[in-house]
Amino acid sequence: MSFAQAILDTVMKVAEQKNAKKINAVYIAVGNLLMLNPEQLKFCFDVITKGTIAENAKLEVEVVKAKIKCTCCGKEFEEYIGICDECGGILSVEGGKEMILKRVEMEV
Amino acid sequence: MHRIEVDAEMDLLEENKRLAEANRKLLKEKGVVTINVMGAIGSGKTLLIEKTIDALKNYRIGAILGDVIAKDDYERIARHGVKAMPLNTGKECHLDAHLVHHALEKFDLDGIDVLFIENVGNLICPVDFDLGEDYRVVMVSVTEGDDVIGKHPEIFRLADVIIINKVALADAVEADVDKMFEDAKRLNPRAKVIKMDLKKGIGFDEWMEWLTCVLQSRER
Repeated sequence: MSFAQAILDTVMKVAEQKNAKKINAVYIAVGNLLMLNPEQLKFCFDVITKGTIAENAKLEVEVVKAKIKCTCCGKEFEEYIGICDECGGILSVEGGKEMILKRVEMEV
Repeated sequence: MHRIEVDAEMDLLEENKRLAEANRKLLKEKGVVTINVMGAIGSGKTLLIEKTIDALKNYRIGAILGDVIAKDDYERIARHGVKAMPLNTGKECHLDAHLVHHALEKFDLDGIDVLFIENVGNLICPVDFDLGEDYRVVMVSVTEGDDVIGKHPEIFRLADVIIINKVALADAVEADVDKMFEDAKRLNPRAKVIKMDLKKGIGFDEWMEWLTCVLQSRER
């Protein structure tokens, strides 16, 4: 819910700057390590936008994967498992924690 | 009316990051070492703080107790005669920098050496909300099942200390403590991992050793 609120707060700032009357769609990118379920996020966004100019706006969520690789042999991983299953090296994690507002479609 | 598209490229988590840094700066100026205590419901977070207050004689402790609506944890800590404050989130499952920022406006930090912030009992939501702490302690107990660490990699990956509590009950609940220890070490090789049973006094010295070391290094 606090993620949905952060989206709405930021979108409203953008809308204010442009004097928007209505928000039609919001596009965001979310790192996969935030462990957010896009469907739940959309549901929260629908609830929280009721009665605002963003009511009924479409929320489009793009999930961006973290780069996880072994600091020793360089093997890449889909999921963080801590230690490399090939060589026993420690895995590094880059990204996966970001939440970016990419684009807003609105009526002015 | 006409339709427009605005390319924004704005960080949606900026506000929490900004407030967490403000909290960190204030706490540093006041010379306070701040520890975010996270963990599952009933894992022993409050008892750890209580026992630490009783054992840490040469330092002054403060505590902010996060909970959804209850004040029970606050009352338990306040009985030990330290500065304490309840912090209710209302409906949220975690503390954030904004809530802590407001709490710090009211909390008298003068004369405090170490501040414990007890997060809401939850292994998922608190992970991504930096509060401005210096260290993160994550506590679980064997009664949550010995796969609990492996199932929540993110919170353990970013912890400084991982405590596996209630080890004296491991046989009764058929939990493999060594597996839990290895999962913790694998997910976070740099973390201090402690096998503990607060009620039996197991592992508590190891925790105090870590804490004292951290507090002394701040003084130097």
